[in-house]
Amino acid sequence: MNRQEQPLVNTIEHIDFVKPHVFDITPHVPLVWMKDVPNDTVRLDLFFDAGIIRGTDSIPSVVHSLIFSGTAEQSSVEIHESIDALGGFLDTDLSFEGACVSVYCLREHIETISGLVANAINGLAFRESEVEDSMRSMSQKFKENKQKVKNVAQQEFRGALFASDASYSTLAKASDFEAPDVPAMKRFFKDHYLNGLTRMTLVGNLEQDTVDALIDLFGKWAVDYQPQYGKAFEATEKRLHFPVEGTVQTAIRMGKILFPKTHPDYLEFHLVNTILGDYFGSRLMSNIREDKGYTYGIGSATMELQHSGYFVIVTEVGTDVADATLKEIRSELERLQTELVPEEELELVKNYILGQLLKSADGPYAMLDMYNSVDLYGLDLSFYDEAIRKVKAMTPERVRELAGIYLKWEDFLIVTAG
Amino acid sequence: MIEFNRFKLDNGLTVLHHFDPTTPMAVVNTLYDVGARDESEDRTGFAHLFEHLMFGGSVNIADFDAPLQFAGGESNAFTSNDITNYYDILPVQNIETALWLESDRMLSLAFTPKSLEVQRNVVIEEFKQRYLNQPYGDVWLELRPLAYREHPYKWATIGKEIRHIEEAEMEDVKAFFKAHYHPGNAILCIAGNISLERTRELITKWYGDIPKSLKPERMLPKEPEQTEFREKTIERAVPNDAFYYAFKMPERRSFEYYVADIISDALGRERSSRLYARLKKELKLVTSINAYITGSLDEGLLVIDGKLSDGVSFEELDKALWETLNDLIDHPFSPEETARLLNKIRTMKEFQEQGLLNRAMNLCIYELLGDANGVNEENTLYQSITAEHIQKQAAAMLQKENCSLLRVKALQA
Repeated sequence: MNRQEQPLVNTIEHIDFVKPHVFDITPHVPLVWMKDVPNDTVRLDLFFDAGIIRGTDSIPSVVHSLIFSGTAEQSSVEIHESIDALGGFLDTDLSFEGACVSVYCLREHIETISGLVANAINGLAFRESEVEDSMRSMSQKFKENKQKVKNVAQQEFRGALFASDASYSTLAKASDFEAPDVPAMKRFFKDHYLNGLTRMTLVGNLEQDTVDALIDLFGKWAVDYQPQYGKAFEATEKRLHFPVEGTVQTAIRMGKILFPKTHPDYLEFHLVNTILGDYFGSRLMSNIREDKGYTYGIGSATMELQHSGYFVIVTEVGTDVADATLKEIRSELERLQTELVPEEELELVKNYILGQLLKSADGPYAMLDMYNSVDLYGLDLSFYDEAIRKVKAMTPERVRELAGIYLKWEDFLIVTAG
Repeated sequence: MIEFNRFKLDNGLTVLHHFDPTTPMAVVNTLYDVGARDESEDRTGFAHLFEHLMFGGSVNIADFDAPLQFAGGESNAFTSNDITNYYDILPVQNIETALWLESDRMLSLAFTPKSLEVQRNVVIEEFKQRYLNQPYGDVWLELRPLAYREHPYKWATIGKEIRHIEEAEMEDVKAFFKAHYHPGNAILCIAGNISLERTRELITKWYGDIPKSLKPERMLPKEPEQTEFREKTIERAVPNDAFYYAFKMPERRSFEYYVADIISDALGRERSSRLYARLKKELKLVTSINAYITGSLDEGLLVIDGKLSDGVSFEELDKALWETLNDLIDHPFSPEETARLLNKIRTMKEFQEQGLLNRAMNLCIYELLGDANGVNEENTLYQSITAEHIQKQAAAMLQKENCSLLRVKALQA
């Protein structure tokens, strides 16, 4: 045994990607089903064309928060009681371009719980007291978020990055939560939920009859149109600062419009991004956290939109070192454009990415998410085989070349809050 | 059912092995029986700072993370008031890299001054980010010393104050390592598609020669029984008034711990829970309300927290809250309500068992409690809870003289 020397490492050559069953509910709305689950757990996800970009005055957020708030017959507490009684868990998620309702339960209860969920959504009554309760909570949360540098930077970054498209850049404001516009909520709900289902996914060892029953139950909400998404966002290069009272840290968010997942450079740039800021040993972490101690964490990411995408660097640092941090970020961006990545570092990042890919494909739940994250963008599972091939073939020269195209300091929008 | 094997090395290291042939990944989880409760009062935050230093290089290996990433893996750790837990997840064919790294940092750290200096700064930024630079971020720094007078749970894992972290010296670091980081104070779990024989062989190879040390004796001051209602009001520049009711609850190894957990679910876990339905939906006194337990090994806390609606006073809330709590003491749960709570537990356990890392961590925690197999008995234990147990525990626990109340008053801007 030699403690100085790392044991032999075997690189990953091949990963099995399991394709789920796919049915067409309508030509535009699929049901994706991962059937091989070695236990009794089930997850059902309903995706709706009800994202933040689909409305103004925070209507999408308010409606999303009210989705289980009661029907003419049942209060929200009664709805939750009936689902809890069967051991079910509900979860909802709202993002830019979509909303999602998820159910977690044991398979013996999926049909009953689905019936309860369908009734709750179909009969959503926008009870006055529920609308008020939701607005009250959201109004408080809004004020609280105004005190968080991270949140302020995130919001203002979005506003500036997508300035050329109002539906992507309009931010919530205090007045959104003051006087409820119930007719507008009802309209939004009808257009984007009752006629807004874009995808249904299911993980669970279920009978075909059960799956058919779920399609009957939810399929009637399928969209009868092809949802449109923003694509031509104009580049914004600016430096913006937003003061927040009494803070000891400054939040930094800087980034730029990039490309959609279907772009030919996507996979190779993913590797460049990993080197820069997407793992614990990344250059930004090594320099700004592990060498300088300026922050608890710093990272970079490529974010996907339906027809576009963006790149972002995120951190919160001591206020006194905010400028020094920006200087270090700049030097890391420039180093990638001028120096060749050492072979050793490149090999480490390649192995790391492949290890993460292997983990992301581990088990039916992870595999379904992986399938969604290509299928949503019109890609298929061969994308991942391509990923393995492209990652393995990556060279230091290509890293430098891509950094030169996509990571020029002058192209960045830089937002700070604190 | 989580199957496992257990063996012990001569140096005192406890090893758990969990075989799962369905995953290409492996987990190496190492639990050290040391947490913030083992710190001295003038050196708080140390267990957590130390966790950071564990990534700063060990006696034979300059950098912890890079070789693991090179093997396609990743790693992280957390510190609580009770334990410090480290885990590595990597492709099973490279598991030996994780054992090489973990065993070397159990053997000895590099103790470089640079690592200490940088991690001190990182932890200070973490202190600011999580506790100082957030509205309501510092409430646990206030609530703990209100609820605990003697027991070291009176400080948070991050530490009492930034000064303690700034003052940490290399001598302290070395002494802490010597006392707490050795085989007899650790529980290791290897999980994945790897046989018991191979596990035994690799563990003996990498951990067998680490010297044995005595397990430190834990002599924590016992928290005197609380006999009076405690309250404190702090003023902060936050948007709304907030409240934190903390009740002492039984220690982790008792049956009543599970009963208290169910009571917290009944009060404020879901949107069908009692406080949520009554105080938020019906009376509209609050904009949010939750109940949860700290999950501590020694006597812990059941906490009810939330924020007041505009124009509602702390007194109005207090009255309605105690009415709801007393109702739980005065009237037994209906069979439906009990069943509802226990059904949720059953679903949750099924989902938790899916993750390899979760299984490995839970095995280690139950081994620390006395027997790793406890993880397989947990659900049965919960399912044996009756309305009578709940009523009795509620009566013992949800009393004013067992409560510490922290109010956060919003300063008007």
